[in-house]
Amino acid sequence: MIVADQKPLHEVKEFVETHQKILVAGCGTCVTVCLSGGAAEARLLASGLRIAFQRAHHPKTIEDDTVLRQCDEEFVLPLLEKVKGEGFDAVITLACGVGVNFLADRLGAIPVFPGVNTTFYGAVMEPGLWAEMCSGCGECITHLTGGICPIARCSKRLFNGPCGGSEKGRCEVDPLNTPCVWQLIYDRMKELGRLHELRNIIPAKNWRPALDGGVRHTVRERIYRLEYKNR
Amino acid sequence: MTVRSSTQQHKPLPNCSAACPVHTDTRGYAEAVSEGDYERALELLLQANPFPSVCGRICHHPCEKECRRKEVDAPVNLRMLKRFVVENTKDYRRERRRRIEPFRGKKVAIIGSGPAGLTAAHDLALLGYHTVVFEQDSRLGGMLAHAIPRYRLPLHALNEDIDDILALGVEAKTGCRVGRDISLEEIRESHDAVVVAIGLSESVTLPIPGSTSEGVLPGITFLWDVANGHPPPLGERVLIIGGGNVAVDAARTARRLGVSRVFLACLESREEMPAWQWEIQEAQEEGIEILNSWGPKAILSRKGKVAGLELKHCTRVFDEKGRFNPQYDEARTMTLDVDQIVMTIGQRADLSCFNERELAMERGRLMCDPHTLSTSEPGVFACGEVMTGPGSAIQAIANGHQAARAVHHYLQTGERLVLPREEISHLGPLPPRVASLARPMPRKDAALSDPQERTRNFSEIESPFNEQQALEEARRCLACAMGAQLESSQACAGCLTCARVCPFGVATVERTAAMPAEECLACGLCAAECPAAGVALKRFGTNQMKKTLREMLASTHASHILRPFVIAYCCLYETTGRQYLQPQSREEIESSGILRVMVPCVGRLSSLDLVEPFELGADCVAVIACKEGACLYPGSEELLQRRVAHAQKFLEEIGLKWASLQYHRTQENAEASWPAIWKEVRRQIAPESGKEAFK
Repeated sequence: MIVADQKPLHEVKEFVETHQKILVAGCGTCVTVCLSGGAAEARLLASGLRIAFQRAHHPKTIEDDTVLRQCDEEFVLPLLEKVKGEGFDAVITLACGVGVNFLADRLGAIPVFPGVNTTFYGAVMEPGLWAEMCSGCGECITHLTGGICPIARCSKRLFNGPCGGSEKGRCEVDPLNTPCVWQLIYDRMKELGRLHELRNIIPAKNWRPALDGGVRHTVRERIYRLEYKNR
Repeated sequence: MTVRSSTQQHKPLPNCSAACPVHTDTRGYAEAVSEGDYERALELLLQANPFPSVCGRICHHPCEKECRRKEVDAPVNLRMLKRFVVENTKDYRRERRRRIEPFRGKKVAIIGSGPAGLTAAHDLALLGYHTVVFEQDSRLGGMLAHAIPRYRLPLHALNEDIDDILALGVEAKTGCRVGRDISLEEIRESHDAVVVAIGLSESVTLPIPGSTSEGVLPGITFLWDVANGHPPPLGERVLIIGGGNVAVDAARTARRLGVSRVFLACLESREEMPAWQWEIQEAQEEGIEILNSWGPKAILSRKGKVAGLELKHCTRVFDEKGRFNPQYDEARTMTLDVDQIVMTIGQRADLSCFNERELAMERGRLMCDPHTLSTSEPGVFACGEVMTGPGSAIQAIANGHQAARAVHHYLQTGERLVLPREEISHLGPLPPRVASLARPMPRKDAALSDPQERTRNFSEIESPFNEQQALEEARRCLACAMGAQLESSQACAGCLTCARVCPFGVATVERTAAMPAEECLACGLCAAECPAAGVALKRFGTNQMKKTLREMLASTHASHILRPFVIAYCCLYETTGRQYLQPQSREEIESSGILRVMVPCVGRLSSLDLVEPFELGADCVAVIACKEGACLYPGSEELLQRRVAHAQKFLEEIGLKWASLQYHRTQENAEASWPAIWKEVRRQIAPESGKEAFK
């Protein structure tokens, strides 16, 4: 799941200072699950902004709406219609960066502002705690590391660890919250009876499928541009 | 011709309402009481039952037997709450009365004015019929007026209900005995339908040796005479034969007439006795000596007067098939010297008011069909105990409602209505897993006067709840099936937050969240935390609260409100009176600068609930939780404190002072705490109250 954190309210407020009618758009999937951008947060932000502008003697019309996913045309369409049809002159989206882009591509002259900082792909470690688990690097190497990713979970992204900053199984960068991933990999490989494999050096990775290779696309031929749909 | 109406089906009812023969909205009135809205509670009571004053005193409360709170500790004292409602809405009840002018141009006669007859009369008057009640006695009420002893049901309580019914325009012809003053035939000539609701007003006697001796008193006659101020002369020792409620009433009545030794002999063992257990217990407290498993063999007499009773031991009352079939050990006997014997072994209808030509009878019983409540004659119906056999007041009331339906149908269509078979589904027991996590709260029982004292006269023995007791008892109601529900599965992201915060382990998530209605205890924590704002609360959703808040503010002039203007969320569950439960007047809000919002547990307030008041013009929001450790819902205190901290940070970002959102707790008495806290809230927000702090 994509994890995001809310931007400070003053920052978001500054984005829309010069606008009059603003829609706060929540997203009903990842950011709802990580409690940063669902319907409840959209309502709260809208209310907070109304109060802030009211107090600054610049009352504005600020509404909220939340769709199931801001990364699918079908779900986003009603939102776009609302924005255009009801004369909103700015949108703050609480979706991850994907939603920001997806809306921006479709809203013409109407600006779209991010309400959250998209942080990582992560999992719930315990209720209320999310941790990064994947970097979306495009070519997974976790078959070499017992299923544990040294790119996402090592502070230095070391392919062959640990480094000297591994102490009592914790990472020196943030010992309280971060285990040393190479300790985790070691323990896991030992458990799998594959410890000897760690004697091998993991070679440099092909980074082209990652951000380095430019904008990435994925095509599923089996449903892509179906002819009968375009007839 | 007879029509069959389809089986009536209902959504699962809370167990209490399902168990009530008239399906009173028990949960609804408990909720209304807890919110201080006693008038709404009364409306709910009257919707189902024209005898709330009577039932508040003598109902055998099957609702309580099924109350799901018993899985946690003990059932809610619903009967006493009902009594509290009627005792505290007397003026309102008088004012709400209205006369219904008959508009259907048809006339219905009711013979008998017990609970069944008067209920039928009540319903038919509401339906627009000219309704006339024929009562042989000078007083309406049937058994309620004459057989239920006054210490259980004072006349004024009965009259509250009867006056209500008469106020509808029901005509009462008292002192008019059918068969003597008017015949059924005459009644039929001048009425379009007749309801026979004559009850079972005669005691059955036992054909044992000596049963005609002087001093053998039929139970109903005995109670009737005492109730009407003509107690028979009694000796020092009186014995009651029978183990039912009438027997216990007779025994306790004899005690109040000054009899020093009152015995009650019955065939049944203590556990088998058909009288209500609490009645038996109260009788024992009053010194009634109960002789279980003894049957009467012969009444001993001296010069034609009762001198004693010979009893034989009863070895079994019911046979293998559960039928009444007593067996005796004739060799084991005992003799008791007594001065009078009261026979309370059963009742039958006094059918001497009709002749066989007018109405078909069979072996001394009225011929009638329980499915249509009809008799042998078209347009003549029967209801109450004459139809159903001995039963409780509330069963008679339920049957009275049915009779009204049957009559209405007949008068509108000329056909008999087959009463639909009710299929009531209920919620079932509270799962033990949930019950074990609910906070126990001791049940409040009615206070009874001291047995020594209470047997001196016929004064009512039970004291009503005071307001504090009623409010405390009302909030013991678990509000079954009035808790959380997912508004739409589309809104749910399956994030598990509800499952993670639910203190009772009720909320679960498969594809989407589910809060099974029969398990949820309505704390509202999941709704407050749901990031999709997708959980609604059937009872006290905060959206409704915000609507009320807006309405209240719309009726006040913002510029007239004393500043700083504080919106105070207080826990409704801490109230001991209506003082803070009743809506505030505009003037009060304006002059005090405090708008209080009573919330059943402030833990259900979402972050938005804490922030939004500022949009509505508040300068400060105060969340006042209950005193430490008093919350009904485990975890609620912690979650609320964290939510408040989150909202405080959010408000700070907006530029509001930290004191704009305050968290307080009451101490000892909440109603004494609140004004002090409100003062403190104003002090905290006011000092450097510079203009920038407020609009």
